[in-house]
Amino acid sequence: MSLLDVKEATIRFGGLVAVNKVSFKIEPGMLFGLIGPNGAGKTTLFNLVTGMYTPTSGQILFKDRQISGTPCNKIAALGVCRTFQNIRLFPALSVLENVVVAGFLRHKTGLLSALAYLPPAIKETEALKKEAMELLKVLDLDSVANLRSADLPYGKQRRIEIARAMATRPDLLLLDEPAAGMNPQEKEDLRETVRKIRDEHGLTVLVIEHDMRFVMNLCEHIVVLDHGEEIASGPPDKIRSDPKVIAAYLGEAV
Amino acid sequence: MNDYQQRLIVLAGLYVTLSVSLNLINGITGQFSIGHAAFYQIGAYATGYLSIHYIQAFAPKVGGDVPWLLLMIVVGAIAAAIAGLLVGLPSLRLRGDYLAIVTLGFGEIVRIVVQNNDALGGSYALANIPRIQPIWVSLLLAVVCIAVCRNLLKTARGQTYLAVREDEVAAAAMGVNITGVKVTAFMIGSAFAGAAGAVLAHYEGVVTPQTFTMDVSFIILTMVVLGGNGSITGSVFAALFLFYLPEYLRDLKSPDGSALIISGGAVLAGLLAVGFGVAVIRWALNNAKLARGTRVAAYFGSVVVAVPIFFIARVGIHLIPTMATTQVQAGQLRMVIFAVSLIAIMLIRPQGIFAHHEFSWTWVRKLFGKPGVPTEIAA
Repeated sequence: MSLLDVKEATIRFGGLVAVNKVSFKIEPGMLFGLIGPNGAGKTTLFNLVTGMYTPTSGQILFKDRQISGTPCNKIAALGVCRTFQNIRLFPALSVLENVVVAGFLRHKTGLLSALAYLPPAIKETEALKKEAMELLKVLDLDSVANLRSADLPYGKQRRIEIARAMATRPDLLLLDEPAAGMNPQEKEDLRETVRKIRDEHGLTVLVIEHDMRFVMNLCEHIVVLDHGEEIASGPPDKIRSDPKVIAAYLGEAV
Repeated sequence: MNDYQQRLIVLAGLYVTLSVSLNLINGITGQFSIGHAAFYQIGAYATGYLSIHYIQAFAPKVGGDVPWLLLMIVVGAIAAAIAGLLVGLPSLRLRGDYLAIVTLGFGEIVRIVVQNNDALGGSYALANIPRIQPIWVSLLLAVVCIAVCRNLLKTARGQTYLAVREDEVAAAAMGVNITGVKVTAFMIGSAFAGAAGAVLAHYEGVVTPQTFTMDVSFIILTMVVLGGNGSITGSVFAALFLFYLPEYLRDLKSPDGSALIISGGAVLAGLLAVGFGVAVIRWALNNAKLARGTRVAAYFGSVVVAVPIFFIARVGIHLIPTMATTQVQAGQLRMVIFAVSLIAIMLIRPQGIFAHHEFSWTWVRKLFGKPGVPTEIAA
């Protein structure tokens, strides 16, 4: 059983076909890369998988279950969570609160319990805070847990995004350009972190990234998109020497 | 305590309830609603009507007038919550200004429907509501409203309400049911407004459509914004401040006990002085390089600047014919003073008096500079 099975996913915005019959399968535990030039449709594909858009045609199966057309928050509860390319934290909330919000989707207590501040809601909140704190430790953010997330530097905000997405305890984690704006050392650390969370938390990771070195060193399988179409798919070595990929990135020889 | 003072306390309790409950919708969940008076009105009219017609038959059964009032408060809350649901549902597709227009329209619809309904007293009044007037009910309601909002914010569930305010798209992607959050915020917020309406109806014994005009919605909104959008503490303080200020100004006395009379020139000079005072404070706030001590000195300095400007300007303006002879009773200027203080506060502190902060003992200790207390945001 594949974890994620994208079958000929297509979405049109008016006359523009942003993603055109893209198909791929992700097996559990994989580090899967999605690359392509700007405007290739990578983020749109993420939006399809996470339920922000509904595909015009085609299917998206998660654990053999059709998820296209399911609302975003339900897909998150099923076990697909993402980070955003242009960071979308909850700016006025602290780092810890950002992560607690994401953990709340596993809540068991009701609204009345929270309004009356009953022990179940208190305990649940404490438990979520503790879990969030542990996640922050994994991503080396525990020292800034109580700071406003908007006040932190870019690299840290990117890591908070990852911590927040992981708090939903996803089976499939989608990272949208997690290394953008990071320096080489930070990228190196991030790669180790992604590997580590995959190994320790049994996650499957789908990552969009522009930094070729980062993707080639991290991912086990890569799909290349260009103008909304899949032009190559395979292990990094094969992608590196694929003439179509080179043409898409560098242009063809005249 | 005379009637007037009692009434001030009851109304203050109601305004605190209204502003804290609107803060749940506007400040905490970020849904820009400006029709809060409508829910207040629904609570008042629904329970007023029920009391007029059914109190004699049913009050003895529930154990007298005060239990009946408590029952009516619950009924008013439920009625307003249902109305909140009705507004909340369509508003799920609307954001910001558009939602504001819908809620504003809703407020007017409710008022006009009541105004044209003879069974509810039409445009005159719904009169002869049995008066049940324990003061503590209004205060209790305010306390319950504050407690509910504070409880919510203390739990993880409350954080999801803030998350919806901060970024709806990201909140949905993190599994937050934004529909549920918005609708419950609307329902809880309007329920408290409805409960406040029930208290008002039974305190006054009469309610008219003019009690619930847009002005009321806006004054509640002003309380929320002035206190600091999202801060419960701010909503409480701003409600008390904005409610009592005009009442206090109503009978300003001169030292000999007669009503305070001032000249038109003095009014203009006062405005000018406030303007300069605000300018000095703004300058100190904008100048990031100032040392803390200098900045505090500048706050006091604003008064030092404003006072002489007042006297000099008054002399100057009095040279203009009629400016010295035009006499105004200070009490009549209360809405002017009210507006000027609002403008001054918003210029000095656009994020509201408390911004997003809440009252806490840690904060008080920090204010008095006790060492060893961990600050909220470390350097």
